[in-house]
Amino acid sequence: MTDPDQLASPAPQRRTFRFPEEIGVIAALLVMVAIIGLSRPLFLNPLNLFSLLSNATFLGMLAVGMVFLLAIREIDLSVGWMFNFSAVIAAMMMVAGFNPWLAAVAGVLFGGLLGLINGVLVVGLKLPAIIVTLGTFSMFQGLSLVMNQSRAIVPKDTSSTYFAFFKERLFGVVPVAGLIFITLAIVLHLVLHRTRFGYRVQAVGSNPEAAKLAGIPTGLVRLQTLMLMGAICGLSGVMYVGFRGAIDPVEGSDFVLVVVAAVIIGGTPLSGGHGTIIGAVVGMLIIQVISSGLIFFGIDATWSTFVTGAVIVLAVTLDQLIKFQRARRADRIR
Amino acid sequence: MATPPLIEVRHLAKHYGGVVAMADMNLSVAAGTIHAVVGENGAGKSTLMKVLAGAVKPDSGEILLDGQPITITTPNVARQHGIGIVYQELSLFPERSVLANLFVNAEPTRGGFISLTAMEDQCRDVLDQLGLHVDLRGPLSRLSIGEQQLIELSRVLIEKPRLLILDEPNSALNRAETERLFMVLEGLRAQGITILYVSHRLEEVFTISDAITITRNGSDTRTARTAELTIPEVIEGMIGQRREAMFPPALPRKEGVVDRQLVVNGAAGGALREASFSARSGEIVGLAGLEGSGVSDLLEILFGLRQAKTGSATYPDGIGLPHSPTQAARRGICMVPADRRKNGLMLDKSILFNISNVVVGARNDGPLTYLPAKAMERAQRQIEALRIKAASALAPANSLSGGNQQKVVIGKWLEIGPEVFLLDDPTRGVDVGAKREIYGLIRRMGAAGGIVLFSSTELPELIGLCDRILVIYQGRLVADLSGAALDSRIVLHVVNTGKLPQDISAAKANP
Repeated sequence: MTDPDQLASPAPQRRTFRFPEEIGVIAALLVMVAIIGLSRPLFLNPLNLFSLLSNATFLGMLAVGMVFLLAIREIDLSVGWMFNFSAVIAAMMMVAGFNPWLAAVAGVLFGGLLGLINGVLVVGLKLPAIIVTLGTFSMFQGLSLVMNQSRAIVPKDTSSTYFAFFKERLFGVVPVAGLIFITLAIVLHLVLHRTRFGYRVQAVGSNPEAAKLAGIPTGLVRLQTLMLMGAICGLSGVMYVGFRGAIDPVEGSDFVLVVVAAVIIGGTPLSGGHGTIIGAVVGMLIIQVISSGLIFFGIDATWSTFVTGAVIVLAVTLDQLIKFQRARRADRIR
Repeated sequence: MATPPLIEVRHLAKHYGGVVAMADMNLSVAAGTIHAVVGENGAGKSTLMKVLAGAVKPDSGEILLDGQPITITTPNVARQHGIGIVYQELSLFPERSVLANLFVNAEPTRGGFISLTAMEDQCRDVLDQLGLHVDLRGPLSRLSIGEQQLIELSRVLIEKPRLLILDEPNSALNRAETERLFMVLEGLRAQGITILYVSHRLEEVFTISDAITITRNGSDTRTARTAELTIPEVIEGMIGQRREAMFPPALPRKEGVVDRQLVVNGAAGGALREASFSARSGEIVGLAGLEGSGVSDLLEILFGLRQAKTGSATYPDGIGLPHSPTQAARRGICMVPADRRKNGLMLDKSILFNISNVVVGARNDGPLTYLPAKAMERAQRQIEALRIKAASALAPANSLSGGNQQKVVIGKWLEIGPEVFLLDDPTRGVDVGAKREIYGLIRRMGAAGGIVLFSSTELPELIGLCDRILVIYQGRLVADLSGAALDSRIVLHVVNTGKLPQDISAAKANP
């Protein structure tokens, strides 16, 4: 028996070093890079490594937003089309002669508006976001197609600093768009773990009933989360227009599965209450390393979809095994 | 020689871990009678019924059917012996059709396919007998709760049981539905079916039963023919002698506490039909009532969780009923819900996280940041003040014992220093030691000038702690007991019948 007095006033905690929870996926990423790099040294060329970051940027931004959705025990299926629709609106404004920077701001706001529509439907109808966004997925796609008439929107005048900015590489290697992605991830990491809003997201996701009974405004938090997701899609969309100089009518159609895959590989559970932004970034990088690595090995690029799927299954299997182990250990302690 | 009783139970015992559910339970039910079993919460009556239905295995003791010893290992064995049970809580599928609900897992087939016509043929007699004329192919959810209860009963009757067990079947029924149920039960008795009837409502027990067995603390204390018993006698048997040293004495009021009031005017909503009362700072007001009487609904209305249909209230801050729990939390009105695992805690999160629920989650004042150092300060403060026993503030709420979990729920509210405390059965499923500590906390809430409304399913708790007890019976506030009326016998009588015992009301009428 332990002395009850000792338990009642716990001694000051000794700070023990604990590995961050993302250590697993980070190690996995480094091992993959090392294996590919050892047999194909060209892969380790900084230019190539930074182009991986560049490729991860636009989907990666959606992934860090999606972490908030999974943390609040919801999912947003409409992200790809919010991305596309915002990009189309911004690009059309540029074609119409607006200042590209102004058009970009409008595009981000428009993305936020689309997210607000999702949020109002979810909170107003008291429906899970997965159902609402299954509907808005097609609504946003349809409206976007009406706007662009199934043709790519290409701003003719690309003399603005806007287009140069997102293609810029610092010191010749570091892509500016990638830096914005990393900055966004750091900011959102802090938002999730160090702000009132992030706290509420985790609380609602962990136990919505208890959150409501603790006085947490659950509806408002859901609305804010979906709006944030929309705005991030808008940002990713307008940056894409700057980077590529055009927006295709089908760009974004297959985004949602890859985005959710990256979040899950990163270690965010589907059961809510918890999420890791760093994990999502690393997860997206892993997906990029897989598809790029296959090319380096001369394997047909069409295999990358299969391998990404296999990595998801592997990641969730490992996650489940770890949880099982932990639960067993906790049981034994009790 | 007289015929043996249909079912007899001898020296049944059952322990769950260290908790004694049944110590020495005996029961003898004559064939063709309605036999009632009464007792307080935790007296062991539900466990006894579960043993008879094969849902729970006893540790020791024997069961005799027609004088022959039998062992009931599973619900299926019980069914083969002709024992059918209707549980307190409906175990139906609301989205499925009435027919599907009547034949769960026993669907009659024709030519290998489930046949709806065969189902209708098989249940027609039973439904006619119960006077239940409803759309059999429509979804169950279209039926009233009373009709659903009768469907549950029909499901058991289709199997033609010899012994029918009803575990508090009418807790969700209104008066008319209860009367209908009783007519049905009398009809079944006339057909020779034996009925075991568990209930809280003594008045109804006296209307329907032929014999009564009284239980207390896991044993039977008395069995007699109903005609030979009176309600006060039964209550006496249920309570017995009690030690009342569990409760800490009242604390002196803190200095400088301003006297403020919560006034409720005709609040109604859910099962609650009318409640008007007031409570002052420093007062601990008990709320007593049977399950479904409206006590929980009253607390939900006062917390903004349920909108009042009519009525109003004035809180110490001079404002009316809150429109949402968020508003309540921001105005210093707190609620400790009855089901802490479902409604009170984020189980996978740490104590640290849970303690910040209200300060960070509900309130909007203060900075926009959530800083771990600040959260740790709050957690340590409550761990120390409430003596929460945990490995550290970072331990998940899941790893705590029931009593310590409840302290976390209370602690997260104490962080905002609430003025109105709504406690919905805060000691449910908590061990004795933690109960005492929670009683101490409730005393401290009062002494600090809080207005405490405290509901409990355990009568001794209410009597030991409260300054006044409000009794709600079938949705109406029927009594406001204080002083000498805070007596187990009187309170239990009002809770079960909605009226004061005759000697008391007579004394009040002729002072």
